[in-house]
Amino acid sequence: MKNIEIKNSESRFRSKIGKYRVTLNDKCFHCGLCVELCPYGIFERTEGFNFVFTPNSALCEGPDCREGSYYCTTKCPVEAIDIEPHPQWKTLGDFRWTPDLIITTWEQAKTGEIPQGNLEYKIGASGGGFDKFDFNIDTSSPTPSGEVDKIKTSICLNRRSEGVSIEIPVPWYGAGMSFGSISLPSMLSRATSAKVWGTFTSTGEGGYPDELNPYSDHVITQIATGLFGVREETIKKARIIEFKYAQGAKPGLGGHLLGDKNTPAVAKKRGAVAWTSLFSPFPFHSVYSVEDHKKHIDWVKTINPEALISVKVSTPSDVDMVAVGSYYAGANIINLDGGYGGTGAAPEIAKKNIAMPIEYAITRVHRFLLEEGVRDKIVLLASGGLRTAYDIAKSIALGADGVIMGTAELVALGCVRCGNCESGRGCPRGIATTDSELKEQIDPSWGAQRIINLYAAWQKQLKLLLYQLGMKDIKELIGRTDLLRSIDEK
Amino acid sequence: MYKRYHIETSPVKLPSTQVGKFVIIRHDEECLNCGRCISQCIYDVHKRDSNDSRKMAEPESFFCKNCFSCIQNCPQQALEMVKNKESENLGDTYWTPQIIHTIWNEAEEGKIPVFGAGYRGPFRGSGFDDIWTDMSEIVRPTRDGIHGREYIATSVDLGRKLPWISDFKKLNMPNICEIPIPILLETDPLELNSKNIILAITRAAHQLGTLAFLDIKNYFEKLNPYLKSIALRFPLERVAHINSVPWKNVNLIEIVLPEKFLISDLEHVLKNLKKKNQTALFSLGLTDPCLSEGIFKLVQDSKVDILNFYTDNHGQSLKGDLFICKAIRKLHLDFVKSRIRDEISIIGQGGIAAAEHVPKSIICGIDAAVLDLSLLVALGCRVCKDCLIKSCPAEINKLDPKTATQRIINMICAWRDQLLEILSAMGIRDVRRLRGEVGRAMFYEEIEKESFEFIFFEDSMFK
Repeated sequence: MKNIEIKNSESRFRSKIGKYRVTLNDKCFHCGLCVELCPYGIFERTEGFNFVFTPNSALCEGPDCREGSYYCTTKCPVEAIDIEPHPQWKTLGDFRWTPDLIITTWEQAKTGEIPQGNLEYKIGASGGGFDKFDFNIDTSSPTPSGEVDKIKTSICLNRRSEGVSIEIPVPWYGAGMSFGSISLPSMLSRATSAKVWGTFTSTGEGGYPDELNPYSDHVITQIATGLFGVREETIKKARIIEFKYAQGAKPGLGGHLLGDKNTPAVAKKRGAVAWTSLFSPFPFHSVYSVEDHKKHIDWVKTINPEALISVKVSTPSDVDMVAVGSYYAGANIINLDGGYGGTGAAPEIAKKNIAMPIEYAITRVHRFLLEEGVRDKIVLLASGGLRTAYDIAKSIALGADGVIMGTAELVALGCVRCGNCESGRGCPRGIATTDSELKEQIDPSWGAQRIINLYAAWQKQLKLLLYQLGMKDIKELIGRTDLLRSIDEK
Repeated sequence: MYKRYHIETSPVKLPSTQVGKFVIIRHDEECLNCGRCISQCIYDVHKRDSNDSRKMAEPESFFCKNCFSCIQNCPQQALEMVKNKESENLGDTYWTPQIIHTIWNEAEEGKIPVFGAGYRGPFRGSGFDDIWTDMSEIVRPTRDGIHGREYIATSVDLGRKLPWISDFKKLNMPNICEIPIPILLETDPLELNSKNIILAITRAAHQLGTLAFLDIKNYFEKLNPYLKSIALRFPLERVAHINSVPWKNVNLIEIVLPEKFLISDLEHVLKNLKKKNQTALFSLGLTDPCLSEGIFKLVQDSKVDILNFYTDNHGQSLKGDLFICKAIRKLHLDFVKSRIRDEISIIGQGGIAAAEHVPKSIICGIDAAVLDLSLLVALGCRVCKDCLIKSCPAEINKLDPKTATQRIINMICAWRDQLLEILSAMGIRDVRRLRGEVGRAMFYEEIEKESFEFIFFEDSMFK
């Protein structure tokens, strides 16, 4: 495998968001002791000036350094330094994507390393599913680096004996996000990183923009219920074709693209009328049975015999049956998209209430496929609400071959999960937008580096975890539920 | 000619509900008035002072949507975002700020709330939040998620169904009242006894084609044009003394049962009322999910048509400490077991606070849900701790009746549309088929056990 360049890629925003607030009160006489003490550079004084600048609170690691010899608050001769939790921290993120997870994902996208410091980067605060269990390992043992590097994280996307074999070096690829839901620079960022890593990204259901042609070996194209932008030539271009039956965030409802984001460029790609809201139908009106589904797959195989077929479904109570049906219809990959997955626009009622969370679906489908004796013939990929390297590992331990990551990549590009992607000018941070001005905030080469770095950090964590579990290959982890234990609710 | 049911919405803003979730603080001592935040914010939170354009005006926090762009781009770190206390303090543990904001939006716009980004809340909660509804991946023809909604029926019948027809000559059709949505309204949820609110809710029920429950003590003459949309309710012990009441003109009469009563008294009252109004449906208001033999007998003998199960505003049953889901599941199953489920309609109220609670409670076994506190929230109620109509911060008593009615209609339209979303995702074309269909839902305890039991089998989770 070629060497992947990891280089520091700074945030495109000037100031960081910190967990603590450090303030200097009136007693400060600018002695400068804190400038010397603090190893994080919170306090600054320029040569030749008397005054200590306003502290850069975002760098503060909090009162955990109380034990250290450099704890500013007690060392300050006049008790002029106050450290308190920053009230702003509570306005960032949510239960699934906690502020800690957002900031540590930004950090990984910046450095490409496992996050340092005391922010939680493994687990969220949703209180269930991934956030309720952990690996049963002793993490305190030291790690020799040489052996860790030899651990394999690659997976094969075709487990059938016939058809082409496609191997990706990491057990994930990028989720479908359409042109229209996200901007072209965001798509290019994702495609570039997929190419560099040798994995894939997906066009979503909004057609295949020509700008992605240089990356076509690493782009999956989606055939969704609306058939937006689906052409013979787009099907011929792709090595993997994805049938999207449903999306976890809006199961049973079909895609939504509200009129404000449907610009003439987007509409042209989709063969639709600009500035109208586009709702994909549900379901495929040509598919009312597994036999119909097979016809669909045959149709694609006629156009592109080399392509692997992925089937994306959400998670109803009979998802296990759907998975087996897809296998017999000829699918190579079954992609389960859980109820808490990402979206560019979805009715709020659908996000929580319809279909089950991914954690449940993985174990059910994995067990059912095993019982049916076809588990080793199909690739089971999970998506929908995964955030961290540990979520990836947990999904695999529950029974998936690999995962599909979406929102986390956008977070690497600077998403704060404010949830305003759906209408108006779209994303104020220039990611999920079609606004000509806002999208300029993202430079695709910068964006690609951020996602490349995030992938690198995830791979390091997976390798380290596999090492701690005494494994040499990620495939050994599949279905190892015995390694999981529940975390008592705090 | 067939006329499709349609709810007419129109946007109604209410000043009392314009509460932002975030507050942007600009620290004057740091701010250079450079105006960078103006170009960064796409929501117009930041503007220059209209009197002195060298200075920045106070941020218009109400428009803030939590994107952090201004904060992260400020060269001086002069901006800060905190949660709006006013918004945080709305409601209580059950009627969360999120629930109240959602109802306010629905009442204002009459539309389904649609937002970007995946689900943000906790994995699960208690009560209704422990239920996921099902969907179908590959389904029957003639259904189409968003375009085929008009084929889905949301109307339900209140009253008994005929068990079988043995002799057409003796066919005695039971009284039935068809309402176009599985939703009824409560006119006086917090016992505020405000004529304005009662009139607004009654008129909304009238326009929607459904029924509104009215306590007999709250009856006044202005309600007369809407009598057909009123479900008249009175306590058992007081019926003998009430004469000047328009018994004849209502479609539904409910008797609220006291803790202790004689079935014979109840039978007597029912008999007398039936003389006054032969076409009305008769309902019993219950607070205890455990029914006595006597009431089963009444249902069996077709003396009552409806049971209305009351819980408190948090959905807790007033007796037996059961959440409304469990209580109505029990009621439903008791009648199923006695093979008389179709001889009675069950409706329930209390704790129905969001659109998804309607289909979920129907799945648990009711035919239709009665909305109560949510209607006041639509009018701007903040579910404060002590409710006194005189000192109401939202002044809901003084609302223009037209505005009030329209906001309720907007909210119910949004809820019905969301019910359609759920039904269409399941591939169900008639809400009547959803009743008691627990197979179309997943319950946390069951699914967690089924999926994870073998992972945590040594654990104490299920032991």
